[in-house]
Amino acid sequence: MTTPWKQGQPVTLETERFRLAPIRPQDVDEAYVAWWNDEEVQKGLNMPVRNWGLPEARQHVARFDNRRRFHLGITAKETRERIGFITLIREGHGRVQTNSVIGNKDYWGKKVVLEVRGEVLRFLFEEMGAEKIISTVNARNLPSIYNYKAQGFTCEGILRDHAEWIEGGRVDMLNFGLLKSEWEAQQKSGEAS
Amino acid sequence: MKKAETQARELIAEALMTTDKEIPLDIRFDQSERWDSLAHMRLILAIEESMGRSLVTREILEIESLASVANILAKNS
Repeated sequence: MTTPWKQGQPVTLETERFRLAPIRPQDVDEAYVAWWNDEEVQKGLNMPVRNWGLPEARQHVARFDNRRRFHLGITAKETRERIGFITLIREGHGRVQTNSVIGNKDYWGKKVVLEVRGEVLRFLFEEMGAEKIISTVNARNLPSIYNYKAQGFTCEGILRDHAEWIEGGRVDMLNFGLLKSEWEAQQKSGEAS
Repeated sequence: MKKAETQARELIAEALMTTDKEIPLDIRFDQSERWDSLAHMRLILAIEESMGRSLVTREILEIESLASVANILAKNS
C-alpha cells in the first residue's frame, strides 16, 4: 500500500520487499557513509572513493529538498536495514532524471532495482505527472545497463569517449529514456518487470 | 553459427551458474528468473574473455538473448 503523495510532501513508497522514504541528514549512518567510500560501489558511478565522513554525507543529503530533488533510501522490510538509495531530479518539461545505488552488496543480483524502480516509475508517471524518465550511465556499468533495458528503457544515444574512465582511458556514456506512453503500453501488455 | 550457438549457451549457463541443459535456445535476458544484473555482467565479461577483447558499446547493448550472443561470437570468429 502506498501513501498518497501531494506536491511538497516527502515521497514514501512501498514494494513487496522494500520501503522507500527520504533520507534525512539525521538518518545518515556509518553504513550510508561506507557506500560513498567503497571502491566497488563508486566504480559503478565512475567515481573515486569520496573519503567522506558523517558531516560530508549529511551535507550531501541536505541538498535534496523533496520538491525537485529526492533522495530515497531503500530499506529491506525483512531486516529493516537500509540497503541503498534512488535519486530523482525533476528537470522540468515533465522530465525526471534518476539513478540508483545498492550499497549493500548482499543485495546485488537480487533484482532490487527492478522491483524498486518499478514502483518509482508508477509513482512518477501516475502521481507526479512525469512524461519521461531519463538516466545517463557509463558503458561499463553493465548491471545498470541490464536494469534499464530489462525495464524497457531505450538507449537514445551513445556519447562516445565522453568521460574519463576511473580505471584509465575514456568511456562512452549512454543516455537511457523511458516515455510515459511506453510505460503505459508495458503495463497493458504485462511486459513490465 | 551452430558452433557459436553452442558456445553462447555455455557462456550463458556459466554466467547464470547453471548447466547448458537449463538454458533454452530462446532464452531472453528479461524473461529469465536466473538472468539478473550480476549474471548479465558475468556474461559480458566472459564473452570478452573468450573473444580476447572488450566489447564495443553497441555490442554490449545488443546482448539480450542467446541468439544475440551467438551472433556476436560468430562475427568475431
